Parts: sequence; C-alpha cells; structure tokens
Amino acid sequence: MLRGIIPLCLVLSSCQAPPVPPEVERVKTQEHELWRAGAPIYAQQDYARYLEVLGAARDKLNREKARLRWFRDYEKIRADFLVVLNQGEIILETVRNEKQTQSLDYSQRLSVLRGRIAKIKTVTESMNENGQIRRSLTQAEVASQEAGLLLKNEKYQELEPKLERIDLHLRGAQEALFGLLARYADEGQVDQWRKWAEDTVRESRRRGNTALVVKKLERTMTVFRSGRPAAIYEIGLGKYGLSDKLYAGDEATPEGRYKVIKKISGSRFGKALLIDYPNDVDRREYSQAKKKGLIPARAGIGGLIEIHGGGNDCLTNGCVAVRNEVIEDLFPTIPVGTPVTIVGCLESADRLLSSLGKT
Amino acid sequence: MKHFTKFLVLGIFAISLFTSCAKQPTEQIDAAKAAITAAQAEGADVYAPEDLKKLNDSMQAAMDEITTQSKKFFKKYGPAKEMLAKVQADADAVKASIPAKKEAAKNAAIQAQTDAKTALDEAKALLDKAPKGKGTKADIEAMKADLAGLETSFAEIQTAIDSQDFFGASGKAATIKEKAMAISDQVKAAMEKVKGKK
Repeated sequence: MLRGIIPLCLVLSSCQAPPVPPEVERVKTQEHELWRAGAPIYAQQDYARYLEVLGAARDKLNREKARLRWFRDYEKIRADFLVVLNQGEIILETVRNEKQTQSLDYSQRLSVLRGRIAKIKTVTESMNENGQIRRSLTQAEVASQEAGLLLKNEKYQELEPKLERIDLHLRGAQEALFGLLARYADEGQVDQWRKWAEDTVRESRRRGNTALVVKKLERTMTVFRSGRPAAIYEIGLGKYGLSDKLYAGDEATPEGRYKVIKKISGSRFGKALLIDYPNDVDRREYSQAKKKGLIPARAGIGGLIEIHGGGNDCLTNGCVAVRNEVIEDLFPTIPVGTPVTIVGCLESADRLLSSLGKT
Repeated sequence: MKHFTKFLVLGIFAISLFTSCAKQPTEQIDAAKAAITAAQAEGADVYAPEDLKKLNDSMQAAMDEITTQSKKFFKKYGPAKEMLAKVQADADAVKASIPAKKEAAKNAAIQAQTDAKTALDEAKALLDKAPKGKGTKADIEAMKADLAGLETSFAEIQTAIDSQDFFGASGKAATIKEKAMAISDQVKAAMEKVKGKK
C-alpha cells in the first residue's frame, strides 16, 4: 500500500498551484489611479458600482485561493478582473471628460466674471468717486485670483462658492455704480444738459465767438469756435465731480451755463479762467436745498470755480483742471465773457449701465 | 483494525485541534480599523490623503487574506496578523505625523498673513505720505480705495485660519500681499509723477 501512496504524494507535491492572474494586480493599481483621479467625486455612482463589482471579484478570488492548490482555476477569476479593468477604464475616461468639462465650464465662468471686473474698472477708472466701487472690485479681484488657483489645482468642488463670492462683490460694485450714475441715465436730466450744450453751440455759431462745453462723465472739454468744435481736451474734476455743486466744500463740480468772469495769470495752478458760479439758478437750488435741510446749516454756497492747469489727472475741489500746456494755449484765446457750459453728459448712460447688467 | 481505529481517532483529533485553534484575528482587525479611523479623525484626509488611501488598501488586502484563510481547511492567520499589525503601526505613524503637518500648514498661513500685513502696512504708509487735498492725483485716491478693499479681504484670512482652512488662508494672504505690493509700486510711481511736475 505504501508503495502506491508514496509515488502519488510525490506526483501531487510536484504539482504547482497556478499563479494569481496579473489582472488582479493591475486592478489594484487601477483602483488607486481612479481614486487619485477623483473618481469618488467626479463619477461617484459609477465608482461605487465599480467597487461593488471589484468586491465580488475579490470574494471569488479569495474563495479560489482557499481551495487546495491542485484544484485552483483562475480562468473565471481572470475574466472577472478583466471586466473590472474594462469598467475602470471607462470610469477613468468619464472622470477625465468630467474634469475637462468642469475645467472648461469654470474657466469660462471665471473669464466672464473677470471680464465684468475689467469692464466696471475701465468705466469707473476716471470717476473720482469710485471708492466704493473699487473696494468691491478689489475684493472681487482677490477672490478671482483665488479661484484661478483652485482651477489650476483642479479643485472644482471649491470653485462654486468662490465664483458666487466674486459675483456678490461685483453686484456690490454695480449697485454703487448704478447709484452714482442714476442722474446720468435720467432722460429728463440728459435732455436738459443736451439743450444747454446745443444752445451754447448755436450761440457760438450765431455770434462767431468761442464757447467751452465741459462734459463731466466723458471728462472732456470741447472748445467751439463759431459753433464748430476746434479742440477737445481731457479734464480733471472735483473729488465728487460727478455731482452737481450745491454748497461750499462739497467738492462737486457745478452744472449749468456760466461765463468766464476773470482771467488769472498767476493762480496756484498756473493760469486760470474764473467762471461766474454761483449763477441765479445755483442760488435758487442752494436756497431750496438749505430749506429742505439737504446741506449743512453753516455751509455757504461757495465760489471760485475755475478752469485751471495742474493736469487732467488732478483732483480738484470742484474746478475743471487741464494740463498746464492746454491752459497756456487757451488762455490768450479765451476772453472774459466766454460762455462755459458744464453738463453731465449728452448721451444717456442707460445703455452703458444696461451693458453692465442694469435691468 | 484496532490500530487503524486508533490512528483514525488521533488523526481526527489532530485535525480538529489545528482547525479550531486558528480563529479569525478579530481583535487585530478592530485595532487596525480603529487606528485608521483615528488617523482620519486627526485630519489624514486633508494632510495625508495618499497615506490614508494606502492604509485603506492595506487593510483591504489583510481582510482578503483573512477571507481566504477562513475558507481553508487548514487556516493560517499568521500572515494576516502580520499585515494587520503593519496596518495598525502605519496608521499610528500617519496619525502621529499629522499634528506636525497641521502645525506646518498653520505656521505657513500665519507667516503668509504676516507678510500680507507687512505689505499692506507699507502701502498704507506710502499712501499716507502721498500729497493730500487739492491737487492730489486722482489715482492716489483710487489706490486708497483699492487698499481698503484689500484690508477687508485681509480680515477673511483670520476667519480661514480659525476654521483651520490653512491652505485657503495662505492662498488668500499671498494674493493680498501681491496686490498690496503692486499698490506700493503704483503709489511710488504716482508720487514720482507729482514730484516730476513740481
């Protein structure tokens, strides 16, 4: 009997167990790759199903490993793991596509927001009273830079609140801008300004004299000679230059039809043309505002509004500033009595505000 | 025949002794799992996500080994126990490494916050030196507004640090520093412009 058993044992012991299929190790690597690529985030359900199928395949593998080595057969296991591998490849592709889609989507949205920041910045750059707007824009810019970093690091799930934050700051800037330019989008007000300018130009043409038209929103001063535009200069205004001057110290630039009443050769800002602010209309508006308590009780109506040098990037107390070379050139050609009309704008700002999102 | 019966009884006794002695290492399993949970609770998913993933994978491998052995006639849990012990030791090591990583991230955030503050203060000091009142360049006023915006954003760094978002805090601080330095450069240029025109 022993003679029969011994050879059998020798034969059995010489039989090697079949190796575990290489697909098992490949799946292990793939699963790690999927996790690293972000499958739990970008293909949540598919990845959960993948893990389920992988779990079942592993169970089968464990069962097979548990069998006596002579009876192990990994062919079915190999097939199962191949299915898992194929499934993983599809998920990996899905994850890549999803990330690419999100990257593109967030890039575009961020680009639109950055475009809005740039547009508001450009529109408000020359406005002296852009403080609130710039504060909000700066906050939007900081958030936008952070969003750019998140985008670069593929942290898409953190981008949504960041973009919302940028939008919030931008809406704050827009609201401040809409408030600032409300008068400039009021058709009735713009019509009045347009009438002043047209009357001034018509008068210049009829009398053959020189007239100056200052447009505050555009920050330009046009010199008309015999009703024809002869030159356009960039100007600087008061700290609150977009507002109509009401009283002394409000740092606003007056709006109305004025005249040069004095030529000053040696002012603090070089040569200067003094205008007749306050005129009758200004006095009336001042009294009304005072009665309504809209201005400080002790505030006077102010005066000494000039067109002077100092530079078009100059911040004035309400005067109109031009470059020194400009006032040097203009000074000899502008006689006392020259009409000076100061308006907000001649084109309603409504379209501009609509382009910035005003509804 | 008598001998054969004796051998049979002895054999059955020996086999049952082998199989019954090999019990699943439940205590080691629980200990390894607890160690991973503790590492995660310490913040491994934020500060050592790759290590945490490796721990979970090693745990899975150990569990597979246990499953395999549990189905065998002659159970051998020795290798699984070794695997579990390694998982536990690795998890403990990961957990122990987290406070240092967290502290480093916190220190980096605080340093970035300090740098941003320095840049802001420098810009502020320059703006304070810039000419005031009538004749001031309009762009200097605009820069003051920009700086005010940066100061508002600066306050958010502390909020991020307080909520342990150290990476977010560092990113924000770096952005603010960069912008504050840009303002300083612009102020210097604007002041030069004023000086040049005098």
